Amino acid sequence: MKIIRIHNELLGTYGDRGNAEVLVYRAGLAGIETTLLDIGYRDLLPSNGDIYLLGGAEDAAQILSCNALSNGALHGAVEKGAIVLAICAGFQILGQSFYANKTEQRGLGLLNITTIPGTDRYVGDIAIYSDLLKINLTGFENHGGKTILGAGVEAFGSVVVGHGNGDGVSDGAVAGNIFGTYLHGPVLARNPEFADLLLSRAHGSPVVVIDPLATNYASMRRKIVR
Amino acid sequence: MLRLKFALAIAESAGFLSKLLRRGSGETLPGRILLALCPNAIELLAQSRVVVLVSGTNGKTSTTKEIVSQVRSVGSVVTSASGSNLARGVAGALMKDSVFAVLEVDELYLPEIMAQTNPAVVVLLNLSRDQLHRMHEVKRVATRWRDLCIGAEPTTIFIADIDDPFINYAVTGAASVIRVSFGGATDGRHADGAVCPSCGRYLDWMDGHYQCECGLSNESADQLYKNGSAGYRNFVLASIASDAVGVHDALTNVALRSDYRGMERATEKVFGAVSTRVRLTKNPASWREALAGVVGDNVILILNAREVDGIDTSWIWDISFVALKGKNVVVTGERGIDLAYRIHTEGIENTLVTTFDEAIEAFGLGSVEVLAAYTAFFSLVGQ
Repeated sequence: MKIIRIHNELLGTYGDRGNAEVLVYRAGLAGIETTLLDIGYRDLLPSNGDIYLLGGAEDAAQILSCNALSNGALHGAVEKGAIVLAICAGFQILGQSFYANKTEQRGLGLLNITTIPGTDRYVGDIAIYSDLLKINLTGFENHGGKTILGAGVEAFGSVVVGHGNGDGVSDGAVAGNIFGTYLHGPVLARNPEFADLLLSRAHGSPVVVIDPLATNYASMRRKIVR
Repeated sequence: MLRLKFALAIAESAGFLSKLLRRGSGETLPGRILLALCPNAIELLAQSRVVVLVSGTNGKTSTTKEIVSQVRSVGSVVTSASGSNLARGVAGALMKDSVFAVLEVDELYLPEIMAQTNPAVVVLLNLSRDQLHRMHEVKRVATRWRDLCIGAEPTTIFIADIDDPFINYAVTGAASVIRVSFGGATDGRHADGAVCPSCGRYLDWMDGHYQCECGLSNESADQLYKNGSAGYRNFVLASIASDAVGVHDALTNVALRSDYRGMERATEKVFGAVSTRVRLTKNPASWREALAGVVGDNVILILNAREVDGIDTSWIWDISFVALKGKNVVVTGERGIDLAYRIHTEGIENTLVTTFDEAIEAFGLGSVEVLAAYTAFFSLVGQ
């Protein structure tokens, strides 16, 4: 299984690089071999990855990353059925448009969402209920965007605590194998069930991982943030 | 002035009482009262002194202490209590008379404190990710500093480590600045420095050097020193600051002590039969520095997530803990489980315990290195 972490030097402001490490670790426990590839801004993005990961970033970095991804390689990977997990600024990049440096920027158009400046900066613990996983997921949000979902995408979760897409109602978006959310943490470290969902989809069959420490950590956060 | 004198008298007796009753350290209470009774106390008390301010993500306290020890040779000095770097800490420090005031200042409070103290020297150490729930972004802090440098009096000398592009950008418009380079950033690049803070272009790094198309570069230093640890860098910056306010042999000392590694925030402390070296690890940069210095086999890691620790722990995933592989690692702290799981995914076996006492008991005797979050550090070693 090939896991590709995109532009971590740009999209690594909020610790989201850990999502890749959790996937690799849990895949290892399930006996699945993985390769983790770090693709920097100057590198060519391969389109044969199984899982692509994007993280949160500051404005200027977000613009650079989006420009570099406009060459179509990620679009090609998505057409082949690759899985994408994008957090915060990375999530906004996937949409039709977003704001950075107080200017509207054209996004990659992989998700039918648009992000506009929010009324406030949304900082704090967040909990959402995921219809897909039928559980609460926890994380930490830190952003100033308000994301509006268009046709063809579903919210990733409904907000239990926090702001999510800026309306306090929904968080993130899902369309096919593309997942976007505002949850840092990293989200896969705090919610191993979500990591296993991505691994299962990439593997083509259910992946079952038993790691008590991960489970304890997840349930402890869920008891606190609710 | 009468109001100030009255406020000082009240604040002093409150501090005395607080120490007597052992309520808190007695360090910030007088400052708080002083500012409540006389809101412009800092401005009035700073007027007749030579003020040196120190700010940056890491090294504020140790650099401030170093400047104090150097400046003391030429005149009386007041300084902030360790880590008291908000307005109340500054006000508290200024309550006693002196020729010099050497003060550490929180990054976000620097504009406010500068406006009130008209400093002779401002030392800008470094900027990297820290307490993002409060700072939001590194660039945001750098931009605030840039504005304050542009607006500063020409008599204020900024001393800036320009191997850090955020610092270099911050002093772009300063009238009076000493740009210092150590021949490049430690570890080859600034960990958060992939984007030029000045123009937003991608910043390519080569052996610790950067040269952006827009002109921002660390090739244009006024003073060049050999590369060294964060402790050494801060020692040099402290010496330049001391020189600027009249300590004439300050820079001679730098040449004599070029292998200097001190000023690290490690404190030796004994708990029962266990002797420890406690280090402050509060953000990715300080963790990396501390992990590189771990030599023993026994380690206690403490993670908290209170306001000053940063309430979001996601940043621990930006640190590689592989240096701890094979060591006896015990993890604790209010958010110990976050750290236990993070290092678990790096294949580092560890024991998670609830309290620091249990962590000490887990070793029983011998020597242990303790890497502690901000609030844990201060509760273990005090001021």
